[in-house]
Amino acid sequence: MNSRKLVLSLGAAILGLAAISAASQAGTVDGPVIRSDYSAPALYDLGNFYARAGRPAMAVLNYERARILAPTDPDIQKNLSQVRESVGLPALHAGWLSQHDRLANPNTLYWLGVLGLAIIGAALLLRRARSRHRALLAGGAVVGGLLMALSLGDAIATASTLHECVVMAATPARTSPTSAVEPLFTVSLADVVNVRDEHQGFALIRDTQGREGWVARRDLAPVIPSAGTATDASTSPEAPR
Amino acid sequence: MVAVGTLVASALQVAEAAATEQIEPAQIGMGDSARLTIAASGSDASTISPPMVAGLEFVAVTQSQRIESINGVSSASTTVTYQVIPQEPGVFTIPGATPGSSPVVLTVNPSSGPGAAARGGSAPLAASSARPSTLPAGSTRVTANGTAFVRLRLSKHDLYVGETIPVDIQVGMRDGFVASLNGLPTLNGDAFTLNKLSSQPQRAEEIIDGKPYTVLTWHSALAAVKPGELALTIETPLTVRMRTAGRPDAGLLGEADIDDLFNDPTLQNFFGTSTEKDITVASAPTAFTVLALPVHDRPADFSGAVGNFSIRSDVSDEKVAAGDPVTLRLRISGTGNFDRVTTPMLHDVEHWRTYSPTAKFTAEDDIGHQGQKTFEQPLIATQAGMQSLPALTFSWFDPNSRRYVVARTSPLNVAITAGTPTSRASTTASLAPASSNNTGASAAGDRDDHGLRPDHVEIGSSTASLMPHYYQAAYVAVPSLLLAALSGAWFWMRRREQISLAESAKASEFPQTESLLASMEDAGAAGDTTRFFQTARLALRGALASQWRVDPASITLADVEARLSARSITARVFKLADEATYAGVRLEPADFQWWKQLVLREIGNEAMS
Repeated sequence: MNSRKLVLSLGAAILGLAAISAASQAGTVDGPVIRSDYSAPALYDLGNFYARAGRPAMAVLNYERARILAPTDPDIQKNLSQVRESVGLPALHAGWLSQHDRLANPNTLYWLGVLGLAIIGAALLLRRARSRHRALLAGGAVVGGLLMALSLGDAIATASTLHECVVMAATPARTSPTSAVEPLFTVSLADVVNVRDEHQGFALIRDTQGREGWVARRDLAPVIPSAGTATDASTSPEAPR
Repeated sequence: MVAVGTLVASALQVAEAAATEQIEPAQIGMGDSARLTIAASGSDASTISPPMVAGLEFVAVTQSQRIESINGVSSASTTVTYQVIPQEPGVFTIPGATPGSSPVVLTVNPSSGPGAAARGGSAPLAASSARPSTLPAGSTRVTANGTAFVRLRLSKHDLYVGETIPVDIQVGMRDGFVASLNGLPTLNGDAFTLNKLSSQPQRAEEIIDGKPYTVLTWHSALAAVKPGELALTIETPLTVRMRTAGRPDAGLLGEADIDDLFNDPTLQNFFGTSTEKDITVASAPTAFTVLALPVHDRPADFSGAVGNFSIRSDVSDEKVAAGDPVTLRLRISGTGNFDRVTTPMLHDVEHWRTYSPTAKFTAEDDIGHQGQKTFEQPLIATQAGMQSLPALTFSWFDPNSRRYVVARTSPLNVAITAGTPTSRASTTASLAPASSNNTGASAAGDRDDHGLRPDHVEIGSSTASLMPHYYQAAYVAVPSLLLAALSGAWFWMRRREQISLAESAKASEFPQTESLLASMEDAGAAGDTTRFFQTARLALRGALASQWRVDPASITLADVEARLSARSITARVFKLADEATYAGVRLEPADFQWWKQLVLREIGNEAMS
């Protein structure tokens, strides 16, 4: 039947697209490989480099970035904990991702979600085409739904990482976004904080102890840098100003 | 004469009034506070003003006034207590509250340990590294009431866009007339930018037109952001004391006379009631000629640095194992706008993996005009042998020679050995204990001297951005397009099914319907009403049977009335067929064609529904 062939072709195209994209990520597709700047081993090595150089904040920043790409790598977890403990911080910051280790790289989970969507769509289309394998199609739809749920859950969990920053210099936190008021507390070097708001060079943060205060934005470095800042000569957040 | 005598006597009485200051304790640490008590007799409360000492904050705690009358002679005394909160360690001299009273000294120790650097003077001196001002004096424009002034001291008035020049900002405050300095001096206008002001202003005394002023001097660096003939003013918010009314017995003297005769805020306040007012004092406009940077011969890598610089580069190690990181350093030193001193360092160097550089600026003065900016870039060699790092370049505009300068460092050679990287040396020796632990918990042996697990040898896959695909617009479009494609396929399939059904119905039913319609035509022409309606009923039954998927013979009038309507054309045809058969109903010749059209329309509707 023409419609059935169409559905199968569409599903194959979607799966092929997902496979090609995943393979491109891994650099295994013939042709031009995506030029990029971030890899988990490179970030991990860079974190080690800074840790040995006595720059814990830069080390934590690179470990955190490496952990995004390789969340199950035990070496990253161990060295991150080692550096955090060396500056008097708990082994891992108390973020959601630290308490619930993720299954895989978020980009892999993203493609699994896309695959789940494709499976659900294909199953519904085949049912529409009055296939006799209705039970099989229903099972496929359930699997697709689980993959989508996994992907959506990871997307929600990853959202907190978007606002995470590493404290590059022990900095006072204040009640207002101005340096004229007395500090409430001091945010520890190399701690990972969540930025909740920003105002004129200050950021409202919540640290791992649940304390909130305004700190100078220049003392923070985002775990996930914005696009285009991968190779810029940004001022070293750990450098004295 | 009597009034003048009273005035002089009163003045003498005030002048002879005793004032004492006491601070308790005289030595405190950072985070503590001291209590300063100022007692003055023969004056009212407004005579005692809070001291102004940079580095100390004075908060009024209590104020009391006592009036005694002994044997008809009245005397008044006022006591004001301040809480003194230090803002930095040092030795501070708090000047006397009234002329002739003795200053007191407060020592503030740093909280980390005893002892403090002696500062001396009436205020903490600027840091010992503070630059003594060599700038020419600027014009002084005192406010109309003579209480304050702001002025600039500059080395030059002709400069290029982006060029920074040292500037001294001076705020003069008439002793006793300025209650507080409410903020730091700020630029008025958007044509210039000002670096961060020096942390502590220098304090000096100056006599202008015979009146004493306390002059605070901040050092900074000024830069123009656009070319043209520009003017600059600096503003400072102040709170000043103003006399609102004279005492009746001082009526012979005007305000100017009082100022001229006594030149003392204590006496002036005695002759009138004072009030405080917030004002903004601006400097006289300072003219600049700002030139645009020349476009001709501008280097491609020019980043906007203007000044006089020199560069040199080095590496942290000249011999490392493959896989071990080395740091390439580029040091740019000199004077200029260091905020525009940037360099991309190295990219895409053969046999090297390059990482993002970092920058660190070390100022050699207190305004950030002179210093050294160091760029550090981690590199990891991927191949053994003598590897070369290419030369680094940096360009800037020299405002003295009025030309661009391009400086280039020498290439650097690093010997890369093929041995195991030092950071992984311990790993090789401790594989056994590490592999025996399946849980991933590290044994002590698989860590280096820093307690770290070893570097990863493999480079692994890489990605252009750390931003997860969920939050990148291009990737959000993928599931959206997929969803749209699936929806389109769904609707396309539905439409195809409808068309296919209609076509099959038409293909299976039309030949019979067509023959029935022809029979109806014949019956109409013959005026045979019975045959006409019976044929019409057959045609309608066929159409309904195709739609309802039932046997045409099983469709009755009751079914039609139940599933359609009793007033429907089909139901009426069914009734007329019975009436023509059993009651002998006859149609006029013209009605045959009309009923035929109705039946045709009904069959068409049922086929398409």
